[in-house]
Amino acid sequence: MTVIEVEHLVKRFGSFSAVEDVSFDVPAGQVAAVLGPNGAGKTTTIEVLEGFLTPSSGVVRVLGADPRQGGRAGRARRARIGLVLQTTSLDLQLTVAEAIGLYAGLFPRPMAPAEVIEMIDLAGDAGTRIGALSGGQRRRVDLGLGIIGRPEVLFLDEPTTGLDPEARRELWAVIQSLVAGGTTVLLTTHYIEEAQRLADRVIVLADGRVVADAAPDQLRARGGIPVIRYHLPPGVNPGDLPPALARHVDSRHNELSLPSADLTADLDALIGWARRFRADLTGLEVTPPSLEDAYLSLTSEAPCLN
Amino acid sequence: MSELTIQRLPGTGQLLAAQIRYQMLLLMRSPRAMVFSLVIPVLLLVLSSSRRHLDPQLESALVAGLAAFGLIVTAYISHAIGLVTSRQDGVLRRWRATPLPTWCFFAGRIAATALTALGSVAIAVAVGTAMYHVHLTGAAALSLLVIFVLGALAWAAVGTAVTSLVPTAQGAGPVLMLTYLPVILFSGGLGSVSAEPGWLATVARYLPAQPIISSATQALTHTGPGLSLISGRDLAVLAAWAAAGVLASVLFFRWDPVRPRR
Repeated sequence: MTVIEVEHLVKRFGSFSAVEDVSFDVPAGQVAAVLGPNGAGKTTTIEVLEGFLTPSSGVVRVLGADPRQGGRAGRARRARIGLVLQTTSLDLQLTVAEAIGLYAGLFPRPMAPAEVIEMIDLAGDAGTRIGALSGGQRRRVDLGLGIIGRPEVLFLDEPTTGLDPEARRELWAVIQSLVAGGTTVLLTTHYIEEAQRLADRVIVLADGRVVADAAPDQLRARGGIPVIRYHLPPGVNPGDLPPALARHVDSRHNELSLPSADLTADLDALIGWARRFRADLTGLEVTPPSLEDAYLSLTSEAPCLN
Repeated sequence: MSELTIQRLPGTGQLLAAQIRYQMLLLMRSPRAMVFSLVIPVLLLVLSSSRRHLDPQLESALVAGLAAFGLIVTAYISHAIGLVTSRQDGVLRRWRATPLPTWCFFAGRIAATALTALGSVAIAVAVGTAMYHVHLTGAAALSLLVIFVLGALAWAAVGTAVTSLVPTAQGAGPVLMLTYLPVILFSGGLGSVSAEPGWLATVARYLPAQPIISSATQALTHTGPGLSLISGRDLAVLAAWAAAGVLASVLFFRWDPVRPRR
């Protein structure tokens, strides 16, 4: 079953075109990440799907209906959707427990507020006013409000921007537990690692257009080349390597990092040198092309790669 | 699933009660709102005590004016600044995306504003009756309740509409004060303005402050048996402002933060 449908979406603000002919579907239970540089159209797309913006043209459906649907049917549809906006959107005067409890009362079958507060790891601050929390804690409250209604669809607009690595991982864990329960997720992010960790599928936008739409592994394979990494053992200097390899050594870390278009030839050169030099090759690794390489390649060469 | 969800949506009575409680909490926890609504009217009543032993009509007008001042500050300024701040912080946008009916959000917000405003009126009238030659009968209290409830609704409706003209919370204070202070001053909210030109007095009669003060003064000077009648014109003026405010809000209210211009 398709939960999110976007067909030839165009959104213009005056003469500025933020989204230009974007199409994609997200089936039930999938986690789709929308990646792209600033101004690519990520937030505009998600805001159309959330019902905050009206498309200039094209068709958008969430759970089979127009996101701007009104009346009781619209209310019922909104009860099945959760969202975390790009910036924190909280009443700072309320306590964590008051905010979560208030939102729980809006939904037909909400999670227990105490359970949500536990999930977002704020049980110790349940009685604290939101204004007194750190930025990362406030973001977790945002997520708590987004999930309290047991959403079938969850929109996350850059949910971890500005968070420290630990807070980011904690938030990922909450999202992963929801996904395990079958929630369909559409998230926008700047972080490649976030997309790689959470998403079944990556949609890359550039200049308001889809330039790639594939699984992270497929995408990775499209962009870039593998890298040979080898930490030089003690007693070995970069100058001991053949010149073609030596110039790829980071002298600060004494590590070879060689992007390789011809793995067989480059490994042969390295192994031949190791045999002659009797060097220990423990720690030698070949890493596949990274998603980041693929992403940078896609967004810099935008239209021709779609 | 959707039909089932419709059937299971929480009832509107329950939602409205939760909204009123929520909005009351926000107002009670706003130091600005509390100082302007509760403290300043009482402070002005105390500071004006040198005018005691004047004409009871003037003393009633003073108490009515300062009670109206507290009511309007709550229903107009605190209410509108609260809405603009919520909009700027993205809170309104989040509410709009929930299953809460729009009317329920506004009804809860305005009811909470009206209740808080009536609380400030009750305190000002209590202090006024204790310090001045003002006697409050049961019938007068009922008249006061009617006029102040209608006044609070009218100012809250106008305040809601005015938020569409104010892009940010920082800009809200000057716009609201500039639209409110002249009205309250020319309407006698901070003391009698007998020297004002006739045309200004006529204009003030059709603005939403003077009818509150005039009817409240009449109620506070009413000593006879039975209800003190409220002027039909005052009620009509307030009802018209309330209707205009609601209509303008429906047409122009903005839920989303104002985007900076490109």
